[in-house]
Amino acid sequence: MRDTLTSLRYRYWPDHLLGEILSKRWTETAIPVILLLIVGLALSRSIDNFLSPASLADTARQAGEIGFIALGLALVVIVGGIDLSVGSIFALTDFCALYLLDVLDWPVPAVVAATLLCGALLGAVNGVLIGYLRLRAFITTLITLIIYRSAYDLLIQRYSNAIASAFPDIPSWDFIGGGSVFGIPTVALVYIVVAIVGHIFMTRLRPGWHITAIGGSRRSAYNSGIPVRRTIALCYVASGVLTSIGALFFASRLGTVGGDIGVGLEVIVLTATVLGGITLGGGKGSVAKSAVGVLIVLLITNGLTTMNARGGVNRMALAGILLVAAMVDIRWQKNRTRIISKVYVAPTYHALPPPPPTEIGQGGPFEQNDKLRNVESIGLGRIEAPEDVILDRHDNLYAGSRHGDIMRFLAPDYQKMEVFAHIGGQPLGMAFDREDNLYVCIGGMGLYRITPDGTVEKATDETNRSMRSVNDDSRLRLADDLDITDDGLIFFSEATVRYEMDEWPIDGLEARGNGRIISYDTKTGVTRTELRGLKFPNGICVASDGQSILFAETFGCSIKRYWFAGPKKGKVEVVMDNLPGYPDNINLASDGNYWLALVGMRSPSLDLAWKMPGFRRRMGKRVPVDEWLFPNINTGCVVKFNEQGKIVESFWDLRGENHPMITSMREHRGYLYLGGILNNRIGRYKLDNADPNFVQYDKRWGKQS
Amino acid sequence: MIAAVREFANRFLGRGDATITVPSFDGALKPNQKLESAETLLTCEAPEDLATDGSNLYIADGQRLMSLTGGQASEVRSFEQPISALCALPGGGLAVALGGREVHLYANASAEQPGVTFADTAFNAINALALAGDNTLIATDGSATCGVDDWARDLMELNRSGRVFRLDPGSKVVTPLAQGLGHAFGACAHGNGALVSESWRHRLVLVTPGASPKVVLAHLPVYPSRLTKAAGGGYWLTAFTARTQLIEFVLREPGYRRRMMAEIDPAYWVAPRLRSGLSFKEPMQGAHIKTMGVIKPWAPPRSYGLVIRLNADGQPLYSLHSRVDGVNHGIVAAVELGGDLVLIAKGPGRVLRLSLSGLAEEFCS
Repeated sequence: MRDTLTSLRYRYWPDHLLGEILSKRWTETAIPVILLLIVGLALSRSIDNFLSPASLADTARQAGEIGFIALGLALVVIVGGIDLSVGSIFALTDFCALYLLDVLDWPVPAVVAATLLCGALLGAVNGVLIGYLRLRAFITTLITLIIYRSAYDLLIQRYSNAIASAFPDIPSWDFIGGGSVFGIPTVALVYIVVAIVGHIFMTRLRPGWHITAIGGSRRSAYNSGIPVRRTIALCYVASGVLTSIGALFFASRLGTVGGDIGVGLEVIVLTATVLGGITLGGGKGSVAKSAVGVLIVLLITNGLTTMNARGGVNRMALAGILLVAAMVDIRWQKNRTRIISKVYVAPTYHALPPPPPTEIGQGGPFEQNDKLRNVESIGLGRIEAPEDVILDRHDNLYAGSRHGDIMRFLAPDYQKMEVFAHIGGQPLGMAFDREDNLYVCIGGMGLYRITPDGTVEKATDETNRSMRSVNDDSRLRLADDLDITDDGLIFFSEATVRYEMDEWPIDGLEARGNGRIISYDTKTGVTRTELRGLKFPNGICVASDGQSILFAETFGCSIKRYWFAGPKKGKVEVVMDNLPGYPDNINLASDGNYWLALVGMRSPSLDLAWKMPGFRRRMGKRVPVDEWLFPNINTGCVVKFNEQGKIVESFWDLRGENHPMITSMREHRGYLYLGGILNNRIGRYKLDNADPNFVQYDKRWGKQS
Repeated sequence: MIAAVREFANRFLGRGDATITVPSFDGALKPNQKLESAETLLTCEAPEDLATDGSNLYIADGQRLMSLTGGQASEVRSFEQPISALCALPGGGLAVALGGREVHLYANASAEQPGVTFADTAFNAINALALAGDNTLIATDGSATCGVDDWARDLMELNRSGRVFRLDPGSKVVTPLAQGLGHAFGACAHGNGALVSESWRHRLVLVTPGASPKVVLAHLPVYPSRLTKAAGGGYWLTAFTARTQLIEFVLREPGYRRRMMAEIDPAYWVAPRLRSGLSFKEPMQGAHIKTMGVIKPWAPPRSYGLVIRLNADGQPLYSLHSRVDGVNHGIVAAVELGGDLVLIAKGPGRVLRLSLSGLAEEFCS
């Protein structure tokens, strides 16, 4: 009963998604967006007409103006600095625009150009000081804040009357401040255009990446050849220009040069920036975050104003929000990876019935024996980690090694060992095609092809991304074993899409169907995912009917058949389940049956733990990996099974001294060759009653001349 | 209330009592492989305890009492029940605990009838006997509910029902000295009290009449067991098995423990054992994977061999180990005889002999 509840809970509640979602970069934008929705909802409920078109248009105008300044500040913060002088630049450029227009009577386009230039120059002062002279951003912009503000105060003393008395009636100027297109204010439209360009700039263009890189690590960026000083200086220039754009719209909307213009603006913009999720430490941030932050801040200040809160309260609220946001930001940045690593691993319910007996005297097909006691060793101590072994038509023996090589042992005595090809990743399953090309699954890299002369070529390393997966699963993480059909279609397994090869124990801890089977067409080069949601799919073998493949699910303890052609195309059928061990590679036997390696054996304590996901989750968090309860892969065996899924024979090594681990086996001319991923040898076992002339590929495709 | 909240927070965060850390083998407990080089005197089925009167060596092997002289083992006698503890008495006598529930005192090893028999109803798992200074006997009883050989269940049930008794052969009175111990296993007279191994709390306590036990040596990375006096002053403390983080974790997981005890054969529990590596059904931990044909000696021990030399104050001087890749595991008894240390490795069923010459100089210089 309890087990049923647990199984339902884990089947329908996707625990693994939390970690996957949190590890996405967009979650850092999603949290401010949620906050924005909450604030918007709360205000629209407590204030009448909050969402009326007039109110929204008014908010949009202010948002546009402040949005430009926030974009500039975002740029500066992402590059690793800060700009406190934006309020003063805003005031000075506002004055510049109105002075040129009202006092000097310049035409509007000239006013716009001159104002932008003015903003650029004011920003350039910061840029040169901070970028080239390497002054501290905080102190520099604090000083320019004061200087610009003093200049503004001096200027308005002389010209405020002249500006205030002028009433320019220029339609294009009014259109900038009060016009709208389809009901959307001009400023908002321009902001949207700039924001989209800015987003593309930051995420798709080289200078944008340079800015992020400098913010992330200035020294590394410098060492990578990025012009650090120039980029930083230009960011301050851009900040000045963007502030002047905001000031232009403000000037045309209100046309005033009051003494308090731009006072405290830096706090509003800074709050918006931090609240949007742009880290003050630099290197992280986006246009969307900036926009969301501005909207939240504006909604709150406007809401408070509408509710007749006093100015002091308003500013205090902003300062409080800035403090909280900065705190959350710092804690989150510090603990993000820790939190993700804690919630990413999500064990699930995995129940297996009691296994069939293996003890001597209990009978049954898996009864232990000592047949493998006399296995001879090839390359003992010279080869490391031969997961799979394969023999070519000339009886040479190939095996992978953990150094990233394919090693070749030369027939007939297999004493001479040479590097056949160097790949770099750990070779796992191997198969020859009709032209004697060796296809190899490489952990962490994908499917590779080695021509008979030893040239290494990539066959495929990505497949179609599945629509329902949060993680991007298009890259191959752990290609495992493969086989080739008569038509040149390669089926290979990918054990897990959530973890890397060295993290396979974590996948065992989860016991979720994280794996898949993928096909690669050697003729067209197309890669396609065939099956998903498999529990560590591993060995693959094309069945004798030529229309289906047999595959092993290691943690599922089962062998299944998948039809890729014929009347049952697309169907999956269980061949054997509830095996007493963890199945690995499958290969053809000379008598038409199949060889299967059991890489390890089930233990009752782990079987029970697989039924208790909460226990495993806590174990994963509290106990170091070296002490986790593991699938026992120290003892294994080889079994032979027939087309109907019946075990014909089993081969054990009771002491496990000669050949501790078996992940694969290959029959060739009356011998069985054994591989083991953590072994330092290849095993060779003389089979009784086996066809002494059996060569796998000769049998399937005929002898080559 | 605050305590309950704190305990909940500890469990949630894995702090305080919920931590599963195990002290490392360091200092005087720095690992070596000395026990692996010990000479095997005798291989028998179920060796349990040793006793010596200075010349003869008695070995409890299941129901049989063996004597070992000059390398020749001979059966002295056998009992109806398995012997659970052995102690040599002054004047050639022998005290024998049978099945954990009775203690028989014989005038000599081959005497027909016991001189005195203690069969208190409180006895359940008498696992060690020691001679006190005043000719009385000290007996430790591991558990009030689990039998002598069922100690793993006692650990997994978190029982704290170990007791220490004083047996007076003169008046035939049994006096309880201490109770509520986490599996009392082994005692040795010390002053007017006794040093007692409290296995499940990983410590050595001093039990004195009329006082609560005083901690002498705590935070051991192993589960201590029987101890005997060493010739040069001090003690030999055996440790029948070692702690691991996984077991500490399982001890804090009531749900898993309950189902494990109900559904799984005790041989395959996630619990400490006297021997390991016999079946693939035993729980395997990450570091146990044989890599390039080698099992790492530093892997978490499911079974372990250790005897610790303590000084007269009960502090460790040096230790002799058989690590995870060894076989002489489950050391339950050690006595000094001549210049040798004779040990029982219950895991492989061996009586071992290790020459002590040079050991103290090697470790304590």
